[in-house]
Amino acid sequence: MSADTLQVLASAGKGESTRTILRFIILSLIAGAAIASRLFSVIRKCPLSAGSQLLSWQSRPSRRGQLSGLLRLSAFWAALLTAASFQVSRALFTNVGSPSLSQSCARAERQSRMVADNPLVDPWFNFRATKYLVANGFYKFWDWFDDRTWHPLGRVTGGTLYPGLMVTSGAIYHALRALTIPVDIRNICVLLAPAFSGLTAFAAYLLTNEMTPSPSAGLLAAIFMGIAPGYISRSVAGSYDNEAIAIFLLVFTFFLWIRALKQGSMLWGVLCALFYGYMVASWGGYAFITCLLPLHAFVLICMGRYSTRLYVAYTTWYALGTLASMQIPFVGFLPVKTSEHMPALGIFGFLQLLAFLDYVRSAIPSRQFQTFLWLFAGGTFGLGLAALVVATSAGFIAPWSGRFYSLWDTGYAKIHIPIIASVSEHQPTAWPAFFFDLNMLIWLFPAGVYLCFQNLADEHVFIVVYALFGSYFAGVMVRLMLTLTPVVCVAAAISASSLLDTYLNVKSPNAEEHPADDNTDGKKSGKTGLKSTSKPVVGIYGWLSKGTVAGAMTVYLLLFVMHCTWVTSNAYSSPSVVLASRMPDGSQHIIDDYREAYQWLRQNTKEDAKIMSWWDYGYQIGGMADRPTLVDNNTWNNTHIATVGKAMSSREEVSYPIMRQHEVDYVLVVFGGLLGYSGDDINKFLWMVRIAEGIWPDEVKEREFFTPRGEYRVDGEATETMKNSLMYKMSYYNYNSLFPPGQAQDRVRQSRLPEVGPSLSTIEEAFTSENWIIRIYKVKDLDNFGRDHASAAAFDRGLKKKKAAKKRGPRQLRVD
Amino acid sequence: MKTSAVFSAALSLLSLVSPSSAKSTTPAASPSTPPQVWKNANLVHIISVEKNYVKENINVLVENISKQPQDEYFLPLTADEASRIGGIEVKDRKNAQAGPFGVEVVELDPKSNTQYVRIKLPAALKAGAQQTLGISYYLLKAYKPLPASIKQDEQQFLSHSFSAYCPSAYTTSKQKTEVKLPSANIPDYTKLPGSGDVKEFPVKQGTKLTYGPFDEKPAGAFEPAQVRFEFNKPVSHVTELERDIEVSHWGGNVAFEERYTLIHRGANLSDQFNRVKWAQSVYYAPNTHALREMKFPLRVGSADPYYTDVIGNVSTSRFRSNKREALLEIKPRYPLFGGWKYPFTIGWNSDAKNFLRQTVNGGYILNVPFLEGPRQPEGIEYEQVQVRVTLPEGAENVKYSTAVPSSSITSDDIEVQKTFLDTIGRTVLVIKARNLVDELRERELIVSYDYPLSASLRKPFIVFGSAMTLFVSTWVLGNLNLKFTSK
Repeated sequence: MSADTLQVLASAGKGESTRTILRFIILSLIAGAAIASRLFSVIRKCPLSAGSQLLSWQSRPSRRGQLSGLLRLSAFWAALLTAASFQVSRALFTNVGSPSLSQSCARAERQSRMVADNPLVDPWFNFRATKYLVANGFYKFWDWFDDRTWHPLGRVTGGTLYPGLMVTSGAIYHALRALTIPVDIRNICVLLAPAFSGLTAFAAYLLTNEMTPSPSAGLLAAIFMGIAPGYISRSVAGSYDNEAIAIFLLVFTFFLWIRALKQGSMLWGVLCALFYGYMVASWGGYAFITCLLPLHAFVLICMGRYSTRLYVAYTTWYALGTLASMQIPFVGFLPVKTSEHMPALGIFGFLQLLAFLDYVRSAIPSRQFQTFLWLFAGGTFGLGLAALVVATSAGFIAPWSGRFYSLWDTGYAKIHIPIIASVSEHQPTAWPAFFFDLNMLIWLFPAGVYLCFQNLADEHVFIVVYALFGSYFAGVMVRLMLTLTPVVCVAAAISASSLLDTYLNVKSPNAEEHPADDNTDGKKSGKTGLKSTSKPVVGIYGWLSKGTVAGAMTVYLLLFVMHCTWVTSNAYSSPSVVLASRMPDGSQHIIDDYREAYQWLRQNTKEDAKIMSWWDYGYQIGGMADRPTLVDNNTWNNTHIATVGKAMSSREEVSYPIMRQHEVDYVLVVFGGLLGYSGDDINKFLWMVRIAEGIWPDEVKEREFFTPRGEYRVDGEATETMKNSLMYKMSYYNYNSLFPPGQAQDRVRQSRLPEVGPSLSTIEEAFTSENWIIRIYKVKDLDNFGRDHASAAAFDRGLKKKKAAKKRGPRQLRVD
Repeated sequence: MKTSAVFSAALSLLSLVSPSSAKSTTPAASPSTPPQVWKNANLVHIISVEKNYVKENINVLVENISKQPQDEYFLPLTADEASRIGGIEVKDRKNAQAGPFGVEVVELDPKSNTQYVRIKLPAALKAGAQQTLGISYYLLKAYKPLPASIKQDEQQFLSHSFSAYCPSAYTTSKQKTEVKLPSANIPDYTKLPGSGDVKEFPVKQGTKLTYGPFDEKPAGAFEPAQVRFEFNKPVSHVTELERDIEVSHWGGNVAFEERYTLIHRGANLSDQFNRVKWAQSVYYAPNTHALREMKFPLRVGSADPYYTDVIGNVSTSRFRSNKREALLEIKPRYPLFGGWKYPFTIGWNSDAKNFLRQTVNGGYILNVPFLEGPRQPEGIEYEQVQVRVTLPEGAENVKYSTAVPSSSITSDDIEVQKTFLDTIGRTVLVIKARNLVDELRERELIVSYDYPLSASLRKPFIVFGSAMTLFVSTWVLGNLNLKFTSK
């Protein structure tokens, strides 16, 4: 940091209004940077391959389209450097933890990530729903019955989704259209998440500013929020998911709650309730708020911090927020029926009692009476809790849902609900994931929480509670890392800014030669006053210590930025639909098998051809191939999924009637054996077996897919059940012919396949993508001669050796 | 096919009868058939089936046999052909400067299956005079794959039906029909009894079949003939091409976007697609009837190309751009076999100075290719083409002219489109054409329009004005005191 910059910044920071403007500019730069960093994949590639995102984005450069690239990147770096210089001009402090360690951890984590990665597919459904909303209007959308999914059941889509995301993009779409800006709904959907990430950075700034008087903390929080990989993972361009807007709403609702609580203001409480309603409309994770706010209130009460501010804020939020949340059809009466929402209701009632008691206490000042009343309150609370338990067990209130149980017992889902356990983002978090997603913040975070304990106001209690809660849940489920990230950013920003404030105080007394009451020299005061605004500012004035700490912190910040850049460009910017690899000469090669096959389905099959596949691909098929599917990622009907699992894991003779009954025309499997793509169906196969076994324990047995030695094999040693299962046959059918005899190799499972490949009689291969990732089979119609398929196929094979040209025998009259 | 042959045979009988009665009467008496005022003294009919559309050339020496000067010559077509014909051009073979020929497809008798191309000569021909006409046109969707479905690695054969005698509304004294084929592998073709020193028609020379010369045939004479030939190339057919050209004066840019609905009209696969065979054939037998790749030679200076389809960006493309060429090579997501469809979109930008020029009196002239499809060795045909030229907001007095045969242009319109903060909307010239082929690519489309300075300054002023209004109104509202109490 050159002295000039400091001078300029110091002088710029003199007037209150200039300071505000400066802060605003920096904040908008940060927000812009946050947005830009999410467009990585769009920026990096040449125009032709641009935007191969989850939802692929195609910018139509109707003007000179070269605005992108360097410009955005330089904006990003400029923003970071400005912010960093602003910060570093204020001070530093160091801590344990070497970045190189965390980086290597990150790399290890990435490797493990590659193994168990589930394609992110929700964006495809959301995109499809948004298109429907834009095309048909809001009321049609509300009543949308989708007969192209869950064939033949259909899905009441309008009543079973969170409409917030679609309505948001629909509103933006119509607003832009009204301004005659010809924007495609696809582009809005792709860019919604980055746009909202800018808002999230802003919300993090506001939330942090409530916590600490240090003006730099908010800016740091905004930066952290903008580039923390834990949040980037869900807000890159194209990840058009509920989380895209929900994290902004989460942070902003918390900010409004803190505001309402601090001021005891009904207005802020109402705003908080409104945003809570928006959040409910957007994401199932709203339950996090529903539980966290009562918990905060409860902790405050237990600490003896009950106040009318708390009463006003909480009751306003609860009454209006609950009403707002009940407007969403999917939520409906859940807030008064299910256990997840009961804490909020309980605290609401408890607060009423407290308010009453508070009033009574102020009216009758008697010590004994007061004690009695406190006991009375406790008793009532206990009774209420007991009533809740009774009501739950009696069935008036729905018990905790399975997904919720799995939050407490990580082994629960594996035993009871395999369908939840089969999703990789519902797995417990591996510890390197914390370093991967948060890097430097993970060691700044506890320091920030510690600082919150230092001056424990109501809002600091919130951070403490949130930190505990969030950390626990993030440890239980990979996905919930997302809810932890905001509080980590806030806490880390508090600690980092307090460091910077202490160590980079420009106004050193030796410059002014201010004798005054400096009874300590710099090095001692560092311990006592990390942040002290009421006392006269004491700081560290030794240039050496200042320089060391500032330099170290700069290095850490830069490393953090580099880590985030690296993570974003490597791990989170490559969509799962498109796999990027390198050719031997270093050029980029894109493996685009999914879209190849989906486009083939879309163009060259009947409009209403039913596609059977494992549920992971349902949304993709619905979105990209535009064909009806049997099951999809909205896993509302476990039995239907189990039916598909049974069809996949049984012999052809068993599967064929199932497929006929469901009018299946094509079966789609994902096979990674040729390419070494590990997320394929054979690796997911055991989940299909388990889910099917849950419904038909007599017909599908997981044990039979393992060899007597307990191995899961696909080579010659595989069990008969495995070899005869439809999934195995579809995956390896005709695969031998690619290799010299006896050399067929599965590159995922590293095993050599049997010399004679499987044969199929009831289905036939219809399409296989370039790298064999997607294989599509056509279900044969009933045989013309009334034979069963196995004998018909055998007959065809037998004939083929003699007369290749003729497929069928001469026509004969059948006489029964 | 058979019915139409019978029908036209009956028709030829009719027309055999009618001339005798019509000759003496006035020409205008029976509008359902053209008056017999011409005789084809000599006619050479060249049917070229080398590409996936038919190109026909009729070189005819016509003679006015009536008493009056004549300037209208008619060429008969079946109604089916009339819907598939395109790019009709007429020239004087002897005299290249002999003015423009007016060409138009007309329906003389709505009940009849026969329709006519009316050729208006630039100057009426005196009685007894002769002129050599060179008539060329294209027929789309002309072939049938035979067999209709084949295996993935088999050869594709197409069949084409035509008349060995050139269809004519007039008596033809002498004629010859040549069929040019893409290869020498012609397993089947119609054989006709020969005349003169030739025993049997056709005479086969390499890749050419020659029927004739025949002696005098009456008007409407028809001799069904068919040829089946190897065509192991894709039969690519674009059912609809939408081509958008957007001119921006402020950006100094012309943006192109083309949306193709492509279908392969060749033989279907008798078995399902086999990836193993396909992967092998890429190395061992690269000659295939599947469409693998398309090359778009764009104008030099084209930049920022993109290639997408309904799912999104397609990664299998390359763009080579240097001083001499700008070649966009794209591959469909999957190889295209007979009956398979693949709609896609491509687009690119170019500097306005490559296409746009200001005239001395302040107007502008835009000169762009009417059609810029792929250049394929096997050709490509377009059934419907819609070209939209979006001119800047406020452009007026729009005129256009094109070198694409006027008989192929079905309609032209001026529309208004509002985009990008427009207030009165942009002027859009929409030209619809049909039955074009890739040989007509690079034919010019010249659009002239006026674009006053006031129109170009409209948008900056309006944006500035509305922003100012917004700020001022915010400022005014911000200064209002809405509080109940004030200190």
